[in-house]
Amino acid sequence: MSQPVLRLTGLSKSYGHGDIFAGISFTVDCRKTVGLFGQSGSGKTTLGRCIMRLEAPSSGQILMQGTDLARMRPKELLRLRPSFQMIFQHPEVSLNPRMSLAESVAEPLMVRDRIGIQEALKKIAPLIARVGLRDEHLARYPHQLSGGEVQRAVLSRIFSLGPKLVVADEPTSMLDVSVQAQVLRLMQDLQRETGVSYVFISHDPDVMCAMCDEILWLEMGKGKMYSREEFLDRVGTEYSAGAPV
Amino acid sequence: MTLLSVEGLNVRFPTGDGTVHASRDVSFSMEPGEVLGLVGETGSGKSVIGQAIIRLLPASAKISGDIFFDGQELTRLPDQRMHALRGRTISLVPQNPSGSLDPLVRNGMQIAEIFIERGEKKQAALDAAKNLLVAVGLIPSDRIAREYPHELSGGMRQRLTTSIAIAEHSRLIIADEPTKGLDYHARETTARVLAGIREREQASLLLITHDLYLAERLCDRIAVLYAGEIIEIGPASQVFRNPRHPYTQALIRAMPKNGLVPLEGQSPSLMALPMGCSFASRCSFMSDRCCTDHPGLIQDDREGGVRCHNPCSG
Repeated sequence: MSQPVLRLTGLSKSYGHGDIFAGISFTVDCRKTVGLFGQSGSGKTTLGRCIMRLEAPSSGQILMQGTDLARMRPKELLRLRPSFQMIFQHPEVSLNPRMSLAESVAEPLMVRDRIGIQEALKKIAPLIARVGLRDEHLARYPHQLSGGEVQRAVLSRIFSLGPKLVVADEPTSMLDVSVQAQVLRLMQDLQRETGVSYVFISHDPDVMCAMCDEILWLEMGKGKMYSREEFLDRVGTEYSAGAPV
Repeated sequence: MTLLSVEGLNVRFPTGDGTVHASRDVSFSMEPGEVLGLVGETGSGKSVIGQAIIRLLPASAKISGDIFFDGQELTRLPDQRMHALRGRTISLVPQNPSGSLDPLVRNGMQIAEIFIERGEKKQAALDAAKNLLVAVGLIPSDRIAREYPHELSGGMRQRLTTSIAIAEHSRLIIADEPTKGLDYHARETTARVLAGIREREQASLLLITHDLYLAERLCDRIAVLYAGEIIEIGPASQVFRNPRHPYTQALIRAMPKNGLVPLEGQSPSLMALPMGCSFASRCSFMSDRCCTDHPGLIQDDREGGVRCHNPCSG
């Protein structure tokens, strides 16, 4: 059995006023998707940000292909960063408003490979076509694009670096249902083609079931892992029409 | 007797770059106690219809068509008489609860103001406000009444604006995207509160939403909007189970529980609408006629209608 892409053991995060979550442990295998589900304020996003090391966990391990990120120095982290990436909830703030789409999608390769924009664009061209963006989009600025187009651009930026793990924080909760289907299908296709693993954050049970192999339900700072079937059972009981307001 | 009848409503916004046709030839009616859902995606013109009924569109909007409410035509009603209706007979649950509440006023007083305006004493008004907080599930009402809006979660703020909208026992409540930005739990609670209003107040509810689950759960009838037009209207169960317009079908198939089938392409710009059917470029049943001939809303015998040259048999 090959090593999991991500293994969390006993991960905890507390701010001054108490624990956000404690003792979170789970693994994500290659080409698999683990969901993080919970109400607003349950700590899903904080957990995602800790995995990305955008925040430092208070204790526990984040083993990314065997290497512990939790206590890694910033310089070492920098070297590993391309292999784990994040998609944010609000497409309108995901891209630099002063950069054209061409500059935004080429930027990661320009930085990593120290190449010019033309060369980077040439390298990324198949990926841009893959996510369904056309040349006419590349000249535009983020405010001239729809939410779905921005999320496609974000996906092409992220996948240009060949990530092993992507943390997706409600990537479609601000999108319409037909655009949501476009973006989620694209994420599934990219997973099949590249073998990437996802940690998928959402508060929508149906989206969870469509995207995830397993779902971690976060509440009161604790996490419990469910299979899709168990998850649906629990959603059905907790949110049945008879439950009190 | 029909409570609300919208007939041939057109709303246009002239801009420097051209005219935005936000609402085109929209017609529907509502009976007392009925829940009608206006569903559609971003930019389909659904909020504009609600704003037109309660007359809160910006002055730049060009409106034509008629809106009859209880026999009165609203678009030409003098401002003063419209003012008397607004908030009393017709109320709006606005789209953005945070922006609609006064951050410096305690939650209880946000509601109590209405009763004070009506001439009640402050204490009686506050007591009435607490009853409304209980009605929308904001308990303990004493504590919540003393708090400020920023101390509530998004879902609780949504319920607070809903309680304000039902304070006057309006006959028509327009709820504009009541579940936008809410998590699943808060969405469920909001759905129950809205269902409760209908039972208790017997008001008509015009539910404007892109949330198909909410619409399916609450509505008697559904009107589906695309590019500013109603493209299908009918009883909710029929629209959801046997959709006849190809766009409605695609929308329902795109729901995660129905297979997450993507609908490729985008809706047309409301400034550059095609000559024929607005959906033609994305439609798998497109014929030559669809590109040249704009379809009208064809009424059928199932108290519904569909705007399509090649509707599915359902």
